[in-house]
Amino acid sequence: MSAVIEIEGLRKTFHSLRHGRRVAVDGFDLLVEPGQIHGFLGPNGSGKTTTLRALLGLVRADAGRMTVLGARSPEQLPRVSGRVGAIVESPQFFGNFTAHRTLRLLARAGGVPVSRVDEVLTQVGLYDRGHERVKGYSLGMKQRLAVASALLKDPELLILDEPANGLDPAGIREMRDLMRSLAAAGVTVLVSSHILAEIQLICDHVTIISRGRRVAAGRVDEVLAGFDRHEFLVRVAEPARAVELLGAAGLTATAHDDHLTVADVTDPTLVSRTLGEQGLWVGELTPLRPDLESVFLELTGTAGHPGVPRQVDDSVLPDRPTRDGTIDLDAGVGETRGVDA
Amino acid sequence: MNLVRAELERLSARRFVQLMVVLLVLAFGITAATTLAGSHRPTATELAEAQRQAAEERRNLEVIHEQCLARERGVLPPEQADQYYPPNCSEVDPALRERLPVAADYLVGVFTFATEARPLLYFLIAFLVLFGFLVGASYIGADLNSGGVVNLLLWRPRRMTVLGAKLGTLLGGVLALSLVASVVYLGSFWFIGQAAGQPGHLDDQFWRSLGTLWGRGLVLVVLATALGFAIATLGRHTSAALGAVAAYLVVWELGARLVFEILEVARPDQLMLSSHLAAWLTGRAEFWDNQACAGVFDGSCDGFYALTWAPALVVLVTLTAALTAAAFALFRRRDLI
Ligand SMILES: Nc1ncnc2c1ncn2[C@@H]1O[C@H](COP(=O)(O)OP(=O)(O)OP(=O)(O)O)[C@@H](O)[C@H]1O
Ligand SMILES: [Mg+2]
Repeated sequence: MSAVIEIEGLRKTFHSLRHGRRVAVDGFDLLVEPGQIHGFLGPNGSGKTTTLRALLGLVRADAGRMTVLGARSPEQLPRVSGRVGAIVESPQFFGNFTAHRTLRLLARAGGVPVSRVDEVLTQVGLYDRGHERVKGYSLGMKQRLAVASALLKDPELLILDEPANGLDPAGIREMRDLMRSLAAAGVTVLVSSHILAEIQLICDHVTIISRGRRVAAGRVDEVLAGFDRHEFLVRVAEPARAVELLGAAGLTATAHDDHLTVADVTDPTLVSRTLGEQGLWVGELTPLRPDLESVFLELTGTAGHPGVPRQVDDSVLPDRPTRDGTIDLDAGVGETRGVDA
Repeated sequence: MNLVRAELERLSARRFVQLMVVLLVLAFGITAATTLAGSHRPTATELAEAQRQAAEERRNLEVIHEQCLARERGVLPPEQADQYYPPNCSEVDPALRERLPVAADYLVGVFTFATEARPLLYFLIAFLVLFGFLVGASYIGADLNSGGVVNLLLWRPRRMTVLGAKLGTLLGGVLALSLVASVVYLGSFWFIGQAAGQPGHLDDQFWRSLGTLWGRGLVLVVLATALGFAIATLGRHTSAALGAVAAYLVVWELGARLVFEILEVARPDQLMLSSHLAAWLTGRAEFWDNQACAGVFDGSCDGFYALTWAPALVVLVTLTAALTAAAFALFRRRDLI
């Protein structure tokens, strides 16, 4: 099956008289296959929104090849725009119009039956307040309206730039359910977000960008597996003694306040056996799996240092992606700029 | 078509447009009401008296002209010799005057449609030109700023179509409003003339000249609207259009005019848009060329030159078309954030 979104070597530089050149996206690649819920992650200012804008024909790329649903962007976009629903960076709506009217105008401009308006308003939970002026909406309500506008076309591909921005916990959960049900109905979703736990819950694939370049891409579990150090958390009565015993058994254990962590454990029974044989009974033995957040922070080099404010562009500048398509997960890690702890 | 309908709805929902329409209705209502209140149908005696006065004034003009001619021939009676007569008697020839005194000039408190229609129409055109320019600029300016254009482009990723639909809807809307407004406006005053004043002398020539002014005014309204739209698009902001006009007026119409005068540049007026505006609207505008008669003192030199409507229209249309084309060309390539 052909890709839904394909971006190769995208480059975008902004020029301004006062601040000169700013490379926002620098040789970035993105591949989204049909049916994926694809997370698009990156620190602030790493180029996510710029990438989506370029893909949707709002900004002109300096270099690169992009296709959406098989159509070259931006030249052939009109051919497929009816099948792509998108929100880019909290869209603004005309404050004097009601949500209903806003959507009706869009539906009319795009040749969508006006009956869809009530359907999507219901879907995003705005039906009861759909006849109020957008001016009087809260942040989350505006965001819901934005999502509704993206859903209006009944799209095959949904591109959502930080859809959870401003949503309350229930709203975030509803958004998650919505994306899941859309995906189940065959819609491909590309979603950018900073709520990584959320992304880990809903996405099957991710692409991580840092300073305009790709640092990781692939199935979520595979990306995480790359960072799995096979660590276990162990609780015992005498942690100090346990560290010694495990060390003697060839394992690297570190003592913490009330527990210890053991790295590179291929066989967890080795831990419990080693300690049990010496009369130290293991109260808890839990595998420590890397979560998306820690992987993200490590990949993008944005974990920061306690007490030192991190500046937005203090993140990893990866090497240019290799042209043969393979991704080097370790590319450039550690090359953080600026903060010197 | 759907795009145009959506744009029309958006345009008519704009607060600014609504405000300007209210202002127009208000201004119209107040002028019409005060005119109505201050005018009455002349009685037969009033009319007769006014006609008598007009006839007398016309006769006076004849007499002065004849006396002037008599002085030229040297047959002026000495008791009239101390009166002033111009060296060239054609200046006081009633037959060469633009208009002769008519009864309407001597009717107090009577609205005469024939004499008031032109100034009334000028006022309406001025209002509509301002309306068109401001609405044109704010419509696209606000849309560019509020992300409305971006939203629309996500739906219709054809920039030229989207911008073209906006401009087309805008021009159509403003033109339709101007048509309706001017017909209602002139119609009401015509009616006031009929019912509570007097229509005056409404011949073919009157209607033709009023119709010409009306048509020219509408062209100007359309040009001003497109200009506001184009400059605001180029500058991405409503205020760009206002700033550009203010800057043009101060820098060029005032500043450059002064500089031209100091440098004694010939015919600076023909470099000013305001001159072309006047020429287009009135058909012909005359300006004084202070270089033409340098060194000629015998009064035989005619230092006036005229701008006529056709070249003036070319200037105005070319300027507007160039700016509009530039706006479209830029919008085609620009990054929309
Ligand atoms: N119009 C612009 N002019 C100049 N620079 C810009 C412009 N838009 C974006 N940039 C720069 O491009 C870089 C990428 O911005 P972008 O908005 O794509 O980041 P992002 O990944 O979406 O960030 P966030 O998570 O904060 O939304 C930033 O350094 C930003 O300053
Ligand atoms: Mg962004």
